[in-house]
Amino acid sequence: MITTVIGNYPKIGPGTKAPSLRGAIGQHDQGKITMEELRRVEDEVTKEVIQEQVDAGIDVVTDGQIRWDDGQTYIAGRINGFSINGLIRYFDSNTYYRHPIAESNLEWTEPILVRDYKFAQEHSSKPVKAVITGPYTLAKLSQRGVYSDLKAMVMDIATALNKEALALQEAGASIIQFDEPAIIMDKDEFPILEEASEAVTQGLTCKTEVCIYFRDVSGLAPRLYQLPFDVIGLDFAWGPANFDLLDGFPEDKELSIGLLDARNTRLEQVDEIVAAVRRVTEHVSLDRLHLSPSCGLDFLPRQNARQKLARLVEGARAAQEALS
Amino acid sequence: MTKGLLTTSVGSFPKPSYLTRARTQFARGQIGQDELDELGRKATEHWIRLQEEIGIDILVDGEMYRGDMVTYFSEHMQGFKISGLVRSYGNRYYRKPIAVGPVSSNAEMTVDWWKYAQSLTDRPIKGMLTGPYTIADWSFNEYYPSREEFVMDLAAVVHNEAMALQKAGAKYIQIDEPAISTRPDEMEMASRALSIVTDGLDAYTFTHICYGDFVAVYDQLVNLPVDNLDLEMSNSNYYLLDELDKRPTGKGLSMGVTDVHSHVVEDVEQIKTGIMRGLQVFPPDRLFIDPDCGLKTRTEEESVAKLRNMMIAVREVKAEMGIE
Repeated sequence: MITTVIGNYPKIGPGTKAPSLRGAIGQHDQGKITMEELRRVEDEVTKEVIQEQVDAGIDVVTDGQIRWDDGQTYIAGRINGFSINGLIRYFDSNTYYRHPIAESNLEWTEPILVRDYKFAQEHSSKPVKAVITGPYTLAKLSQRGVYSDLKAMVMDIATALNKEALALQEAGASIIQFDEPAIIMDKDEFPILEEASEAVTQGLTCKTEVCIYFRDVSGLAPRLYQLPFDVIGLDFAWGPANFDLLDGFPEDKELSIGLLDARNTRLEQVDEIVAAVRRVTEHVSLDRLHLSPSCGLDFLPRQNARQKLARLVEGARAAQEALS
Repeated sequence: MTKGLLTTSVGSFPKPSYLTRARTQFARGQIGQDELDELGRKATEHWIRLQEEIGIDILVDGEMYRGDMVTYFSEHMQGFKISGLVRSYGNRYYRKPIAVGPVSSNAEMTVDWWKYAQSLTDRPIKGMLTGPYTIADWSFNEYYPSREEFVMDLAAVVHNEAMALQKAGAKYIQIDEPAISTRPDEMEMASRALSIVTDGLDAYTFTHICYGDFVAVYDQLVNLPVDNLDLEMSNSNYYLLDELDKRPTGKGLSMGVTDVHSHVVEDVEQIKTGIMRGLQVFPPDRLFIDPDCGLKTRTEEESVAKLRNMMIAVREVKAEMGIE
C-alpha cells in the first residue's frame, strides 16, 4: 500500500523557513516586489511543501498547488477562451474561487502545468503526481458563456486537457490525476463524464487516476470503476457509504482510499485507520491500495496538515503490519 | 392606504479605518478591550446616524464589534478554541473555530451591543445572530461524534441568546443561516435546529440565506420556522420570485435589491424594477426591502450610495403604488 496526497497543501503556516507567500502576494499587489520575485517565493514554498511530504514519509507527493489561487482558475486562466469572473462558493465549503466563463470556444494553446511539474520533480526524491481539475468538473464549476450545451463544453475542455496531459507525460510524469468531484452533485450526467474521460486519457501510457471526493459514489458504483483510469480515488471520510460500495471493484485496478478527513482538524487514531483499511481489503487487496487524505489539505491550517500526513504514514505502516 | 415595503439591512457594514487599525492593535496586545469597545461604540453610532439619515425603517448595529459572523460567537462560548490560519480564497486567510468540548454560553454575547445601539435611536434595532447550522458548518469539530449533536447543542445556545435579546426589548431578531442551503440532505436537520432557536419567541424573526440552489431546497426553505425569509435576489436576477409565484408562501420576504459583491451602484430604475417584480408576488406588508447580503466588504461610500438608491427607489414605488 502506498501513501499519497490528493493535491493542494496549505501555503502558509508556522515553523516554515521559506519566505511568507501571503506577505509576498501582498507586496506584489502593492507593487513593492516584481512578479519575478513573487515567483521565486512560490518556488521556495513549493520546495518546502514537497520536502514536508517527503519527510513525513509520503510515497507519491504533489507540488501542493502553491501557485494555484484555486482549482479552477489556475487551469482555466490559461485555456484560450476562458475569462475569470467574480467569487463564488466552492461546493459546500466555506471557501471561494473565481468563476471562469467561456467567452469563446475553448482551446489549449500552451502547456499549463509542465513547468510546475518539472520543477517539482527536480526537487523531490519521490515521484510527483501531476494533478489536473478534470474536464467535467472544470466545466461544471464554470459559466457556460458561449456554450449552449454542457456536453459540448465538457468535450472541448477534455480535448484541451488531453493535450496538457500528453505534454505532462512527455515531460516525464509517471502518474496523472484528474479530479472530478462535481459528478457527485449531478449523478445523472455520468455519461458525459464517461465520454470526457475517454477523451482526456487518449494516448496516455502513464498511470492515470480519477478522484471523486466530498461525498460517496452511491448510484455511480460499480459503473464508475470502469472509467478508463488505472486508479480510482474515493473519499471515505465525507462518504463513509463508500465502504459498502466496493463490490465489483475490478481486479486490474487500484483504489485510493481518501481516509483522513482533510476538512477537519480532528486527528484520526491509528487503530481507526487500520480498521478502515481492513474493511477495504475485504474487496481490494492491500497491494492495490493507496492511502491518502480525503481531498486536498488546503482546508486545514498548515500545522494540522503536517499532523495528518504524519498520522497517515503511521496508520499505513500499522495497517501494513496488521494485514500482510 | 396599504402599509408596507419596510426597509432594513442584512447585518454588517464596513468598519471605519480607525476601527480596523484598533482591531489589529488589540490582536497584538497593544490596546485593551475598553479602548477597542469605545471605538466600536463610536463606529456603531456613526452607522446608526447614517441609517436614520438615509431613512431605513429597521436598523442594524452594523456588527462593528465582530470580525467574522461565526468566529465572534465561538469566541464567546465555552467548548471552542480557534485554529491556525486557513485560506478562504486567494490571499485571504482566517482563523476557524474548533469544537473541542460541549458548547455552551453563560454570558450574553450580543445583548449589550444591541442595548447600546437601541439607546441611540427611536427606530427598532434588529437583533443579529448566527444560526446553529452555520456555526457548526463553518467550524472544525474535534469533539462531537456527529454533526447533528453539534448543531443541536449550538441551537440551545443561540436560543438562549435570542431570548435574552427579546427580553432586552428586541422586536425583530434575525438568525443568519447562509450555510443552510449548501447541503440539501441536511436541510431537515438544520430546520429542526432553527425551530429550537425560535421556539417561544414573540419577536418577528428573519433568517438570512445566501449562496445555493434555492430551487432544489424550495419546500424546506419556505417551511423554515421563521416569519420572514431574507434572500439575496438582485445578484441572481430575481429568478426565485418565479418559484415563489408558482408555489406561494405565507411568510414575509426580505428581498435583496442591491448586489453586495459589486462595486457598481445600481441605479434607482433598476432597483424599482426589482421591487415591482416583488410586489407582483408579495403584498407590501409582507415584502421587506434590503441589500442582498451584509455590506462589510464594500467601502462606506459604496454602501451608503447603494442604501440611498435603495431608499429612493422604495419611496418612488410607494408613491406610485399608494403604499404608506
